[in-house]
Amino acid sequence: MADEPQPESGVPQRVRRVLRDDLHLTSLGFGFTAILLTAMAAATWWAGRTQDASLHQAHTERVRAVGSTLARSTEVLLAHGQLNRTRRLVVETAREANLTRCRLLLPSGQILADAEPEAITQIDLPATWDGDAPPPPPEADCLCRTFPLTVADRGTLLLQVAAEPDPAADLFWQTRAGIGAVCVLALMILVLMHRRFRKTFRGIWAVRRALMAHLAGQIAPEALKVHAGWGVEAEAWNGLMDQMEKAKRRTTLAQTEESLRLQRGAPNDLSAACDALSQGLILVDGHCRARYLNSAAAVLLQVAFEEADDGDIAEILPEEQVVEAVRQSTRRPMQRRQIFEVERTGAAGRVLLRFIVRPVRREDSAVAMIVIEDITQQRVAQDARNAFLAQATHELRTPLTNIRACAEMGLDEGKDDPTVQANCLSTITQEACRLERIVGDILSASEIEAGALRLNVDDVRVDDLMASLQADYAAQAKEKEITLTFDLPPKLPVMRGDREKIALGFHNLIGNALKYTLGGGSVTVRVDVEDEHLVAQVIDTGIGMTEEDCQRVFEKFYRSPDRRVTQITGSGLGLGIAREVIRMHGGEITVESEPDQGSTFTLTLPVAEGVAVA
Amino acid sequence: MNIQEQECGAVRVLKPDGPLTDQGADDLKSRVDGLLGGGLGRCVVDASATQYADSRGLEVLVEVNEQIARTGHPLKLCGVNETLRQALELTGLAAQFEFFADANSAVRSFL
Repeated sequence: MADEPQPESGVPQRVRRVLRDDLHLTSLGFGFTAILLTAMAAATWWAGRTQDASLHQAHTERVRAVGSTLARSTEVLLAHGQLNRTRRLVVETAREANLTRCRLLLPSGQILADAEPEAITQIDLPATWDGDAPPPPPEADCLCRTFPLTVADRGTLLLQVAAEPDPAADLFWQTRAGIGAVCVLALMILVLMHRRFRKTFRGIWAVRRALMAHLAGQIAPEALKVHAGWGVEAEAWNGLMDQMEKAKRRTTLAQTEESLRLQRGAPNDLSAACDALSQGLILVDGHCRARYLNSAAAVLLQVAFEEADDGDIAEILPEEQVVEAVRQSTRRPMQRRQIFEVERTGAAGRVLLRFIVRPVRREDSAVAMIVIEDITQQRVAQDARNAFLAQATHELRTPLTNIRACAEMGLDEGKDDPTVQANCLSTITQEACRLERIVGDILSASEIEAGALRLNVDDVRVDDLMASLQADYAAQAKEKEITLTFDLPPKLPVMRGDREKIALGFHNLIGNALKYTLGGGSVTVRVDVEDEHLVAQVIDTGIGMTEEDCQRVFEKFYRSPDRRVTQITGSGLGLGIAREVIRMHGGEITVESEPDQGSTFTLTLPVAEGVAVA
Repeated sequence: MNIQEQECGAVRVLKPDGPLTDQGADDLKSRVDGLLGGGLGRCVVDASATQYADSRGLEVLVEVNEQIARTGHPLKLCGVNETLRQALELTGLAAQFEFFADANSAVRSFL
C-alpha cells in the first residue's frame, strides 16, 4: 500500500506559506536589508572605535617619549648649569611636539622653565634645593605626564608635559555621527519604501492570490473578492467578480425558467411560435383550467397574462355559452368543434370575437383548445360591403326605373304626340347619362377598394388644368346664374401626377359646389403654392353642411338628409373618390362648413422637388 | 406634434405630421399607448408626412412594435419615404415592421 502523505507540522507549513506569499517575501527582503544595513553600520562603528584606541595609544606614547627625552636632556643641561639652554629647549620642544604645557617645577613650587616664558617664577638657577616637587593639579581633557628629574649636586625637580587629546578622536566621533545619520536615513527610506510598496502592490498580490485560489477550485465570487480599499486593481477585480456573480445569477435564472417551462410542458420554441400568432390560443385541461394561453389571447380577452395562466376558464371567459362548450368538450373528447361569435363592449369599444372550441384528442385525459379571432374589422368591412351593394342597387334602380317608365310612356302616349315622345327621349338620355356616371363612380370606388386603381404619372401643368376647368364649368355657372371665379397666382407649378385623376378631384369639388349653390350665389376657386404644396380652395355660398355631414361627407353613398340635398340627384360617391385619388398623390381634402353659410373644400397636393414653375 | 387620427372601420390610422424626433416621437408613443389600451393592436402608422426619424423616433417605433407584437400583429407602416426606409434598413429594424404603400392597403391587411 502506498504511503499516504502525512500532514506536515505547523511551523514548516507556516514557513512554506510565508515563502509562497509574495507580500511576505517582500517584507522579509526589506527586513533583511534593514538588518544588513544595521550590521554594516555597527561594523563600521567598531572598526572606527578600534582605530581610535590605536591612535590614542600612539599619541600617548609619543608624549611620553618626548617627555622622557626632554627629561634626560634637562638633567644634563641643569647639571652643567645651563639654565638658558634648558629654557630654550623647553620652549622649542613644546612648540615642536605641540605640547600645551611643558614646565620644570622646583619642590618649592617655583617654575624654573616653561613653554610660556612669562610663567617663569624662578629666574636664576639655585645652587641646590631640597624636597620633592608638589604634584600638579589634575586636568581632565589633556594628556599629562610628570617626570621626576634628578640634577646632580643640586636636587630633584619635576618635568610636567601636557598635550591636547588626539584630534583624530573628534574626527572619529564625527564619522560615527555621520554613519549613524546615514543609517537612520537609509532605514527610514527603507521603511517608507516598504510601506509604499505594500500599498501599491497588495491589491495586485491579493488578485494573484484570488486567481491562485480560483485555480485551486474556489469558484464562489464572494470568496474570491479582495479588500476594496487595496487600490484600483482591487476595485476592478471586485467589479469583475460582481459581474461574474450577476452573470451567474442570470444564467441560473434562465436555467430555472427553462426548467420550469419544460416542467409545464410548453417548450420554448413552441411557446414563442404560439405567441407569434395573431389568433388567441388557450389550452384547457380536464378540470377546465387554462393550462396555456398565448399573448394574443391575453390581449384579446383583456386579461393579465399572469392571472389568466393556469386560471379557471370561467374566470377568463365571461361568455357562459363558450364556457359550457369547453366543459362539454372536456367531458366528451370526441365532440366536434363549436364556433361562437361574441360581441363585447369595453375599453376597446365594440369588439367582435370569434371563439372556436375544439377538442384535442388524447388518450389519457380530455383537453380542449380555444382559438380566438378578432373579427371586428371583417364585420365592419362586411357591413360596409352590404351597405355599398344595397346603395349601389338602389342608385342603379332609380335611373333604370325612370328609363323604363319613360320608354313605356313614349311607346303608349308618344305615338300620337311628338312632344311627349321628345320629352321621354330626353329624360331617357339624361337618366342613361346618370346611369353611366353612377356605374363609372362605382367602378372607380371598386378599383380604389380593391387597390387596383393605378396612377399614370406624368407632368401636370396646373395652369392648363385650371383653364380647362374654367372652360368646363363656365356654361353651367352661367345657366344657374352663379358667379364662378378662379383666383389664380401669376405663376403655377408643373407637378408630377395623374392629370385625369387630379382633374377628377377638382371636377367633383367644383361640380358639387355649383350643384349645391343656389342661383345668385358664388363659387370661388382659389389656388396658391405654400411650402412646396399646391393649395386649392373651392369656396361656395351654398346650402352648407352640419358637423355630422362634414364628418361623413366622404363616406361612400352618404348623402345628407337635408331635403335640399335629396332633391338633387347624386350617387354620394364623388367626394369619397376625389379624396382617395388625391390621397394617392400624397395630398388631402378637408372641409369646413356651416349650414346656410356655404362650404370651403381645401385640396392640398405636394409639388415634387425640382419641378419648374410655369 | 400634430398627429391626425383616422378611423377606418375598426382600425385606427395615426398620421404624424412632421419628423419623428424627441417630443414628436413621445407624442406618437402616448397616442399609440392610448389606442392600444382599447384597440387590440388594430393600429396603422401613416408615415407619409414624416420626413425622417432620429434615434428616439426609431426607438419609439420599436417600442410600439413590441407592444403591438403581443397581439401577434407587427406594426404596420404605410407611406414610408426613402429616407425613413433607409434609416430602418441601416439599423436592421426594417424586418420588424410591415410596410404598405398607403393607409388603405394597410387597413385591408386586417381583413
